Amino acid sequence: MNTATATKSAARVADAVKVYGRGDTAVRALDGVDVTFPAGRFTAIMGPSGSGKSTLMHCAAGLDTLTSGSAFIGDTELGKLDDRRLTLLRRDRIGFVFQAFNLVPTLTVAENITLPLDLAGGRNGRSAGEWTDALIDVVGLRDRLHHRPAELSGGQQQRVAVARAFAGRPDVVFADEPTGNLDSRSGEEVLNLLGRAVRRMDRTVVMVTHDPVAAAHADEVVFLADGRLVDRMESPTADKVLDRMKAFDSKGAPA
Amino acid sequence: MNASVRISVSSLRSHKRRFAGTFLAVLLGVAFLAGTLVMGDTLRAGFDTMFGNATSGTDAVVRSANTITTPGESQGVRQPVDTGLVKKIEDTPGVAAAVPDIQGAGQLIGADGDPIGGAGPPTLAGNWIDDPKLNAYRLAEGRAPSKSGEVVVNRGAAEKGDLKIGDTTTLRTPDPVEVTIVGLATFGGEDGMAQVTFTGMTQADAEKYLTAKPGEAASIQVRAGPGTSQQELVDALTPVLPQGIEAITGQESAEENTDMISSQFLTLFTTFLLVFSGIALLVATFSIHNTFAIVVAQRTRENALLRALGASRRQVTVSTLVEASVVAVLASTAGLAGGIGVAAGLQALFPAIGFPFPEGDLVISGWSMLLPLAVGIVVCLGSALLPAVRAGRTAPLAALRETAVDQSGASRPRAVVGGGLGALAVAVTLTGVLVSPSLWLAGSGAVLTLAAFVVLGPVASATAVRVLGSPLDRLRGVTGGLARRNALRSPKRTAATASALMIGVAVVSLFTVFGASLKATMDQTVSRSFAGDVAVSTPSFGAGGSGLSPRLAGAIAERPEVDTAVGLGRGVAEVDGKGRALTVTDPVALQRTFDLGTVRGSMRDLGTDGIAITEKEAGGQHLKTGDTTQLAFTDGEKKTFTIRAVYGRSELAGDYVITRDAWAPHRTQDSDTLIAVSFKDGVSAADGKAAVEKVAAAYGNPEVQTRDEYAQSSAGGIDMMLTLVYALLALAVLIALLGIANTLTLAIHERTRELGLLRAVGQTRAQLRAMVRWESVLVAAFGTVGGLVLGGFLGWVLVEASDGASDSAFAFALPPTQLAVVALVGLAAGALAGLRPARRAARLDVLRAIATE
Repeated sequence: MNTATATKSAARVADAVKVYGRGDTAVRALDGVDVTFPAGRFTAIMGPSGSGKSTLMHCAAGLDTLTSGSAFIGDTELGKLDDRRLTLLRRDRIGFVFQAFNLVPTLTVAENITLPLDLAGGRNGRSAGEWTDALIDVVGLRDRLHHRPAELSGGQQQRVAVARAFAGRPDVVFADEPTGNLDSRSGEEVLNLLGRAVRRMDRTVVMVTHDPVAAAHADEVVFLADGRLVDRMESPTADKVLDRMKAFDSKGAPA
Repeated sequence: MNASVRISVSSLRSHKRRFAGTFLAVLLGVAFLAGTLVMGDTLRAGFDTMFGNATSGTDAVVRSANTITTPGESQGVRQPVDTGLVKKIEDTPGVAAAVPDIQGAGQLIGADGDPIGGAGPPTLAGNWIDDPKLNAYRLAEGRAPSKSGEVVVNRGAAEKGDLKIGDTTTLRTPDPVEVTIVGLATFGGEDGMAQVTFTGMTQADAEKYLTAKPGEAASIQVRAGPGTSQQELVDALTPVLPQGIEAITGQESAEENTDMISSQFLTLFTTFLLVFSGIALLVATFSIHNTFAIVVAQRTRENALLRALGASRRQVTVSTLVEASVVAVLASTAGLAGGIGVAAGLQALFPAIGFPFPEGDLVISGWSMLLPLAVGIVVCLGSALLPAVRAGRTAPLAALRETAVDQSGASRPRAVVGGGLGALAVAVTLTGVLVSPSLWLAGSGAVLTLAAFVVLGPVASATAVRVLGSPLDRLRGVTGGLARRNALRSPKRTAATASALMIGVAVVSLFTVFGASLKATMDQTVSRSFAGDVAVSTPSFGAGGSGLSPRLAGAIAERPEVDTAVGLGRGVAEVDGKGRALTVTDPVALQRTFDLGTVRGSMRDLGTDGIAITEKEAGGQHLKTGDTTQLAFTDGEKKTFTIRAVYGRSELAGDYVITRDAWAPHRTQDSDTLIAVSFKDGVSAADGKAAVEKVAAAYGNPEVQTRDEYAQSSAGGIDMMLTLVYALLALAVLIALLGIANTLTLAIHERTRELGLLRAVGQTRAQLRAMVRWESVLVAAFGTVGGLVLGGFLGWVLVEASDGASDSAFAFALPPTQLAVVALVGLAAGALAGLRPARRAARLDVLRAIATE
């Protein structure tokens, strides 16, 4: 890994606060988080339920807006964009992998993969074709290109979702519990795919997970509790992550 | 509260929006129905009162007992009575007064030179009766006519023609008479008897212009002396009246008049409206059924959970039906209120557009409230029945499965049943049209065709949407592609949604095609039978107008440019026991300006005892040239005529032709309906027409038209009818659109997560809106195309069946421009229906959509 990419940030939030509700029922899901997701790295966000990890991801990805503070994709501040620009930014610079329901049921595998490109009107031209072609080989679904999502297994569907996320060569791919609905073997395949994309194709991935085994695939893990960033861990292993999480349970969760 | 009821009530409360479309569909249908019934009752009651008021002073009416009614006419021609009877009646004990009532046709010319009225209701003229108790009209302003040329007109007619007291204008009787208006009259307190126009003249003028010879009147109005009842008066009169003359009470006469208005106008009017409210409700049935089917499908999990928890099939079915009943009762009740509102609105609107609506409160009978209420509830519950039964059949296990949208459609049994139905429909229709012409068979075939279309809808929808949507991929890229595939998701649902629009469009196209065919038929008739250069006629419709002066044909014939000018008059007589219309004309000239087909015998010397008839009539009565037949005229006289000619083509000339001389002894008010003119060789069309127009100007200025113009104006009434039909069908189309919008809203609710995903990966709001709109347009396109095909076919069936069942030959025509307009309107309507669901879908919050379970 070279230093240039290590210092450049793909996504960043500064002093991020997100409050849901008002008055007595107000909940501070994010309570002043500062975190940078460096380009060319695979970062996992971990934390117990209700720690704000999904909220952090949604705000960093422009799916949700912060109550205060700022979120950046590259040098673009998301809070300054209107809905249309935000949509275009998601389309052109961000990829998504959700826990479930990642694919449009009426479209074939191939069409699902190129969906963001097609929505953009196919302006990226021929180089996009070569890139998606390469992607299809990486995810290993060439023989399923003309199938509908309903005809694929859960793991296969998730691999299609990964291919779709990378299809537009986005600055960063956000994955929200991508293995949450899969058995361990299918989950492993999806995580390997994400890892390979970062290391071989120089992509950036930010993944929310509660599974230490999944987090171990990342280059770095950031830990969230009660809406605050509480720890970071380089070169994680499943055991180390599990230990750290256990430590949370004993002292970190007063509720 | 019962558990089923509790479940349905809470479900209704939380999903009010889902039933908004159903609610509106039922409401509109019921409002239309109730409005029609209330308005019909109100009009009927209004006319009752009006006639009662107008004729309350008349205690008895003396008139001829003989009438001759020709086919296609609801009111017979009655023989006049001799005014000499008046003296005899006055001398009868119990009689206070008796006056002759002379009636004829008389059309006034307005201040702008255009005739007043004539488009349906009669244009009447008569003698102004000075005894106010015996005159149905009351003098409202000015004075009664006292010398020749002075008239009283009803105020409605005067207003329409912008005429005032003191104005001088022309009255076509049909001979133009210069008249000065000296008074304005009302009828039963209104400005006129609906749109009937009336001109009252002095008795001498009326006898001179409106009767064949002086001393004749349509009837004699009699007033009883004090203490004599109407019935006593009639009893006293009957013995003194000669053979063939009858006396009826004033009340009977008023009832006859009301009945005549009821049967001629009101019944037709309300039946017409009822048919269209029926169509609207049929369309509503499809929309409602579809809504419930979707709601039940979306609630599969919930129902399965209920079943798993121990609810019986019946409880689940009942809870769905209870939901439907609540919607039905609420919507139907609101519809009743709407219907009363519509009737009240029309009551206020009619006078404003120059149609005096009889005064009086709205008549709201139990029947006119109960029927629409019952129809609304039955339609709503009936539409919900199948979905409710399906809800009851939900397997408890479905609670554990992923909820799947019903994707069935092209099932084999459906294709087989639909195909069989279609084949049967075509067979029955073609038999009814081509093999043994029968309206009944053709009608059954039409209904079967409709059923086949509805059953086959889901089978066809997949292919149809694929084909119709194929340009979308290219035009609109991925947005269009997604729209197309969304429309393809549930072929059954797409078909059911489109069916509602299909029926609406089918009826629209049916009328469009039938109207165009009627026009083509007129065109064909004129170009085939009319051999003259110009036609002179007074454009009129129904019972209106007064025809042409019988002296006009002669005057035109004297012009140097003119070769032949022949007037066609109309007479009636009973032939072979049935009333027939006679064409009274110069047979020799007739043959020169009309193509009568092959003529056997000679038209040349019919004389006063000869008649010419068509082959069809001759065949029907087994007559040939040289045979004799007896004609009974309205004056009671029977005369034997010899058949001197048999001709082939009856289209414009009619079935029976006699000479003016033969008709003269029996004639009533004399008028021609048409004058056909042919020019001498070398006279240009423009010169000839100008010459004829110059002559016509002196005779009340009737219209002079070339052959094409004549054909077109003959079809003028058709366009008017079509406009009315389109306006009435707009409601059915509106209900169909509500159905499309509702289905889309429900589908969007179903696809919330998918829409969220699309937005997350970069679909802009505009793209999402376009996607929903295009889906709507595609569904509408499917319905529109289906409707055009169905309507075109049914139009053809109607034309061919009418052709087979009636005397005249019908031509079939498909009007490409009008049908293209119908198609465009269908598509535009689809885009419109998609607007709101599209906006709602675009407002979805991305995060919440993804999180939706």
